[in-house]
Amino acid sequence: MGAFEYRQAEEIRDAFASHGVRYLFLGKSGAILLGFPDTTQDADLFLEKTPSNGRAAVAALLALGFDLSADQQTQIERGKDFIQLKNGPFDLDLIFAPDGIECFDDAWQRRVDVEGFAVCHIDDIIASKVATGRAKDRESLPRLQAFREYWLHNR
Amino acid sequence: MSSNQLASETTPTVFADIPREWLEEFAAAARRPLKTRFRYAFIKTYKPVLDDARFRAFDTTADYRRWCEESLPSWLGYGRV
Repeated sequence: MGAFEYRQAEEIRDAFASHGVRYLFLGKSGAILLGFPDTTQDADLFLEKTPSNGRAAVAALLALGFDLSADQQTQIERGKDFIQLKNGPFDLDLIFAPDGIECFDDAWQRRVDVEGFAVCHIDDIIASKVATGRAKDRESLPRLQAFREYWLHNR
Repeated sequence: MSSNQLASETTPTVFADIPREWLEEFAAAARRPLKTRFRYAFIKTYKPVLDDARFRAFDTTADYRRWCEESLPSWLGYGRV
């Protein structure tokens, strides 16, 4: 499988919109959408944890071509906190309870629209990275925090 | 006038603590269309263990973090510091 492509991000955007999925791009993929120049391998989506949103997400993922068993569909519908999908046209992490963000509605209020993509605010992206405490996040945080200043000043 | 001269003369003082090269990278990225930024940003390399299953689900994010620490090679950087 190759790298995640813009066309695939568009497919997510369009499929999730047509099925009414409430989601936000999070993590470095979200920061890249905001303009952060860096590299990543993953597309991370923060989903609202409700049964109806879980069902809508499953319908959208099936429409995108993900090969989900009945049990896997159930786990997504239940909103397990962290789900890794590598059984579709591209890799995707579904996060129903990210570290550092209290509730979806708050993040949704702060969201940024980038050409139709719903993206977490840079402050939520940073809060999430700080909360994970991972080595790879710690290394990228100073540059991401500098980008925050740049982005806030120029938006 | 060189680009460096231009950058130094137009850099707002609010960015005084940000390395010049980072500011230049941010400005260059801002000039690129989103589609181009995507092409530069997303890469794919094999990550041992992490890429070896087609589906994983964790009840809690804490379970996921614990699994990363216990199961993934430390050099991937998924462990807590």
